Amino acid sequence: MARKSINRLGELERAVMETVWAMTTPERRSVSVREVHQALSTTRDIAYTTVMTVMGRLAQGGLLSRQRSGRAYLYAAVGTREELTASTMREQLNAVSGEDRRAAILHFLDDASADEISELKAALAEVEARQSTSIGKGSKGVRP
Amino acid sequence: MARMHRFRKAPREALLVWQAVSLGGVLAALSLAPASVAVFTEAPRWLVWLGILVAAAMLGRLLWSGHTVGSAIRADRRRHRDLVDLLGTHADPVHGTQVRVLAHPTPTAYCLPGLRRRVVLSEGALTALPSDELTAVLAHERAHLRARHDLVLEFFTVLHRSAPPWLRAPQALREVRLLIEVLADRAARRAAGEVPLARALVTLARGAHPQEALAAGGGPGGESTTAARMALLAQPTAGFGMRLVMTAFGLLVVAAPVVLLVMTLV
Repeated sequence: MARKSINRLGELERAVMETVWAMTTPERRSVSVREVHQALSTTRDIAYTTVMTVMGRLAQGGLLSRQRSGRAYLYAAVGTREELTASTMREQLNAVSGEDRRAAILHFLDDASADEISELKAALAEVEARQSTSIGKGSKGVRP
Repeated sequence: MARMHRFRKAPREALLVWQAVSLGGVLAALSLAPASVAVFTEAPRWLVWLGILVAAAMLGRLLWSGHTVGSAIRADRRRHRDLVDLLGTHADPVHGTQVRVLAHPTPTAYCLPGLRRRVVLSEGALTALPSDELTAVLAHERAHLRARHDLVLEFFTVLHRSAPPWLRAPQALREVRLLIEVLADRAARRAAGEVPLARALVTLARGAHPQEALAAGGGPGGESTTAARMALLAQPTAGFGMRLVMTAFGLLVVAAPVVLLVMTLV
């Protein structure tokens, strides 16, 4: 039950972000909750307060910026989807260097430097050669 | 111990020994003050309390750094998971694990452990990896998630943090990290075979550094984790005898300080 509602919240955040991205242009950078709610209401049954809560959460998470305009807030995405994806990628790549952060994210590849790629390729050739000879001998193990 | 590379052939037992040695060290350090006081038969009361106080302070420091490191890790992970959930394409779950794909050309693959676990791939990784290599990568990440390797890593990070700087052993932390990778590699090797796994390692290493350097040989940091993993790929797991000895040693190391403390106190 709880899990479902969490997933639904994640799905709503996506929908809200997508709406904000779709509605904003370089000339018109920010939108109000009401406008987003109106746009979302065309495809789903959603309360105004829900949209407001989700947008508040996104602003807290640093994905939307907001500024007061009269009695309401105007929201703008802090970056395009591509920009945010790129910064997410950078963040996880940088996580390899931080001592504590390495425990947060587990990478398939830890720390291969550019220097050792030729070394790795040589090792790969060895693994491949060993495999083909062991198949040739009819044994299917990983014996050297 | 970090230099004893033959133990890497039994990654599971080697991890056990590392955990045992660390835990034994912590227990010994904690019982040092109370035990040394207990040696004197006519110890004044304040000295007894001082011993207990020193041990309590050490324990407090350990718990405190466990709390801070643990909550920093979880906050980091939660934030990053929210980002990939929001920005990534939701791919088909693999064996019940949610997979997210980030629209980015740099090949990368990683996982976010925890209750709401995720495997994250970039589009670059999906383009670069043929299906058998992708199977190897996914099996590797799933092994991390299933066996909760993050908790092992967290334990050592906490110990590392709470130890005084002159007692810290960065190479121990590095070795534990390597052993975790080797353990996940074994699972990937069982799922996809050693050649696809070796190829995937090279593919992703090359993708991360498109401007391939001309210089050959290890970097300044000595032997890298990836090269060590490559070398271990073709090696069989160590024999039963060696694994048994390692397990026994691990148990002994934990038991020793406890027994010694009990003996001095009784």
